[in-house]
Amino acid sequence: MVNYHADTDREKALFVIELRNISKRFYTLTALDSVSLTIARGEVVGLLGPNGAGKTTLLKIVAGMLQPDDGQLLPNGRGWPTIGFKPERLLFPNEMRVHQYLEMIAGLSNIPRHQVRQSVRDSLEKVGLLYAANKKISACSKGMRQRLGLAQVLIGEPALLLLDEPSNGLDLEGQNDILQVIQSLHAAGKTIVISSHHLHEITQVCTQLVILNQGQVHYQSSMAEALAVRPHVLLRVDKDLGPVREMFLALHPDIGVEGTQMMLKNEAMALRRPVLALLINAGYDILHVEQKRVTLAEIYARVVQ
Amino acid sequence: MRRRLSVLIGFLLRRLFFSLTGVIYTILALVYWAILFPPQQGTPDFDNYFLIIGAFGAGMTFLVTLSLASRANEAANYPLVVRLPSRVEYLTAVLLSALLGAGLLQLLVAGLALFRGPAALWPQILEVPPVWISVNVLTAVLALHASDFVTAGWSRVYVFGILAIFLFGQSSGSNVAAWLGARLNSFSVQLVQQGWFDLANSFNRAANWLSNQGGAQLENLLGFLFWPFRAINEAVIRGYFDANQALAPAVLLLYATILFMLAADLFANKDLDFVE
Repeated sequence: MVNYHADTDREKALFVIELRNISKRFYTLTALDSVSLTIARGEVVGLLGPNGAGKTTLLKIVAGMLQPDDGQLLPNGRGWPTIGFKPERLLFPNEMRVHQYLEMIAGLSNIPRHQVRQSVRDSLEKVGLLYAANKKISACSKGMRQRLGLAQVLIGEPALLLLDEPSNGLDLEGQNDILQVIQSLHAAGKTIVISSHHLHEITQVCTQLVILNQGQVHYQSSMAEALAVRPHVLLRVDKDLGPVREMFLALHPDIGVEGTQMMLKNEAMALRRPVLALLINAGYDILHVEQKRVTLAEIYARVVQ
Repeated sequence: MRRRLSVLIGFLLRRLFFSLTGVIYTILALVYWAILFPPQQGTPDFDNYFLIIGAFGAGMTFLVTLSLASRANEAANYPLVVRLPSRVEYLTAVLLSALLGAGLLQLLVAGLALFRGPAALWPQILEVPPVWISVNVLTAVLALHASDFVTAGWSRVYVFGILAIFLFGQSSGSNVAAWLGARLNSFSVQLVQQGWFDLANSFNRAANWLSNQGGAQLENLLGFLFWPFRAINEAVIRGYFDANQALAPAVLLLYATILFMLAADLFANKDLDFVE
């Protein structure tokens, strides 16, 4: 996903779907306000934002559940992509068995009859739910339901996967399993859009980052670019830096001092050797030196605030 | 598309008939048969059989359609709808499921009622399916408009409001026209007092028309809409359809088609905010 409109043939071939100035209102509430973004082929797009930011509304519009009040959804030249959608709420027809439900999804996805069983088996295997194929959905745990939600998305290999809170409510092991599945899907070239509150999940699996707030896109970038900006060096010493604070602040404007910590940002990072020497000469013991990059949590906090 | 429809129809019918609602509907059908067609008594006439089971089919179709539309409107079905190339397929599946489900219950009652029931000739039996099917289709489409599944904004109020006006108009058109005529007449008198003679004359002519032949013409116009129902009723009681009456089921199907197109348009353009 990038910040341009896909106007050339080459760009059109690269994207799955493009949103141009999409707005959505529910009575007086503006859920989305002129949102434009392009979902590129093979990318994993992470949608972040606080509650009510418009993430689920955006996914539902892409899934065709909601109609935008303004703006356009443009598929690429190959027509409307096939879509697999995992809603946030884990609601299923409880009276069915796991394999029956997935066979039904396969029937709706134009999978040839003789391939239905294999397709269901493959999707269950990918999400680690093969052992529960004959279980009634009503008897499935929350974790199993999350996996079932993911399994139904995989049936028929849709061109675009929309996952709303894919690991919500799972334990750590379950979250890791889901992340592995998403990573393997990305490796297989799938285009995925994930809405999540879990920053580590977005950091681990997403290649593109979109932060929504109050219905607007406040930030969008590739994950690599987002995390590459604002590197800094963090130093921690054994006692308060108050006595030498003014000296270091005078040395460079990008040096920050607080308590026992010192932060060297931007060009000040090149001064780390002289700074270390000065600290040692001043009688400080260096406890910790770390070259840090910005975290997603920092980006998120900055954007949302 | 046929495969997707058959998958959805199977899913919806299984959800209905394996639920308490489905069991209640089946019991209702049996109770209906036991009360109106008690085996020890036998059924007196074929026209009674034709009309009573036809009415049962229409009522059951309405109930089954509402139940299925309510189930189709559940949030658990989001992943299914996303897979369909067109939302109208989903709506069509609900309609066909309702017709099939209610039709099975109607056939159950019809079959049971034949036990010590009326002796029917083949030509009479052949008249039954077009009438029952057309009435059921129209009822199912009306039930779709009554459901949250299809309703968008005030559409339910518009559809049933217009229907109510037609119903009221065809039965009380003369009274309404007479009342309206009296009001226009007194208004024209006031206009004369104000010196608006030309306008008063126009209103007076309209009042006279409404008071004389206008009511009957209004009743005829609005009653024309309900002609197929009267035609079917008369034909069934008389025992055969004449050339004009034979068109009645086709006209009902035409009404159903128009209403289904409206339902499809509403459903295709509404926000699918299914119930969780």
